[in-house]
Amino acid sequence: MANMTLKLLVWRQPGPTVPGRLVPYTADQISPDMSFLEMLDVVNEGLIRKGEEAIAFDSDCSEGICGTCSLVVIGIPHGPQRGTTVCQLHMRHFHDGETITIEPWRARAFPVVKDLVVNRSAFDRIIAAGGYVSVNVGGAPDGNTLPIGKKTADLAMDSAACIGCGACVAACKNASAHLFVGAKISHLALMPQGEVERYERAARMVAQMDAEGFGSCSNEGECEAVCPKEIPISNIARMIREYSKALSTHRKWQWKATTSE
Amino acid sequence: MPPQPKIGQSSIGTKIVISISSFFLILFLLLHLAGNVLVFFGPATFNGYSHALIANPLLIPIEIILAVIFLIHIYKTIRMWVRNRGARPVPYARKEWAHHTSRKSFSSTTMILSGAVILLFVVIHLETFKFGPDYLVAGSGQVRDLYRLEMEIFSNPLTVAFYALVMLLIGSHLWHGVSSAFQSLGADSPRWKRTFRVGGRLIAIIIAVGFIVIPIWVYFAGGRS
Repeated sequence: MANMTLKLLVWRQPGPTVPGRLVPYTADQISPDMSFLEMLDVVNEGLIRKGEEAIAFDSDCSEGICGTCSLVVIGIPHGPQRGTTVCQLHMRHFHDGETITIEPWRARAFPVVKDLVVNRSAFDRIIAAGGYVSVNVGGAPDGNTLPIGKKTADLAMDSAACIGCGACVAACKNASAHLFVGAKISHLALMPQGEVERYERAARMVAQMDAEGFGSCSNEGECEAVCPKEIPISNIARMIREYSKALSTHRKWQWKATTSE
Repeated sequence: MPPQPKIGQSSIGTKIVISISSFFLILFLLLHLAGNVLVFFGPATFNGYSHALIANPLLIPIEIILAVIFLIHIYKTIRMWVRNRGARPVPYARKEWAHHTSRKSFSSTTMILSGAVILLFVVIHLETFKFGPDYLVAGSGQVRDLYRLEMEIFSNPLTVAFYALVMLLIGSHLWHGVSSAFQSLGADSPRWKRTFRVGGRLIAIIIAVGFIVIPIWVYFAGGRS
């Protein structure tokens, strides 16, 4: 395949409090074998050579497992290719001369730091509120020391696949974090290690999620469709069940949570 | 750690309240449709049924409960909608539907609008029928001739068109709403997903088609007298 020329419309915003705008760029000599981020690197090298400020964007592992890259490409978080992060999106999925809009995640809880980089520490605070296991479970156990049914193990693994990239929030019309929090709650609720703090965890994480200013769920499933790990929204249903049990039957921790501050 | 909100105030609790209230409203619609279908059996059956309802002493308390549920549904939805709008202050310059496994549709994106039209319709509808002209007819004593009223109202093609349009919107509201209400209660699993979605759409179709057929039948057949 021959190299491509693309028209880019990139969100440029110098800082968190400065208004941003879409700026047109031309990406020349783009190989269809490049990843989307490599294409941006090429554009940035051109900008640097011209003495302009490079486009800021987040990236790290480049193999779709770290959850750092976060671009809304042509109106879809991580781009139109299913089950991939934007670093694993290759330029062969675009055609020569195509106009590509590139925007950051947009949510009140994810303020723009610069250009395409957003601050996702709201997710970290949700995890810090309860997405952990306090008991010391030691090092990695030998296989089958703790027998867990195959179906349960599979469900937990599907939820644990969440890389915390935030595409679910970016795709949701309400900027809801329900899929992220649902996956994190599910993954621990299904495992014996997470059983002890199961309900306290659900209640604490949901409270933190609401306090961060995410919206609520409209059950459209756009999150599931853009999730690079294809985590199903049945995780949201499980979160609702965990949370309902937490607040209806397990009141003891509630008193602790409200008085420990 | 932020203080724990009351269950009804949290994002999840709000959805639970909205979905439980919607179940009562769906049940009401199904019962309402079942009663209305009696119009096909002529004035005696229909007026007999409506008189049995009006004469029942439980009617007023049930109406009040239903009205409260309706208002709770509206209040919680609007509050949630406002909060959800605030969750994304800067809109996307370009946003596409993800398709794939997503169930985003015309119906799911217009819930607040179809809901607003339904509210407006309920006011007009109550004014037309419940608080409409009191034609009387001999039944068990003097009873309201709602059959005659219905025949008169639906002899106007504009009224028939208005009702049909609103019923399509109610169908649209339920198309997404019924299965969504189950999901909001946490009733979803890979095994039941299809049942809830298909079942919800079936209920939407039954209600919309049922309520559309009646005014159209009245307009063209003019009822039986």
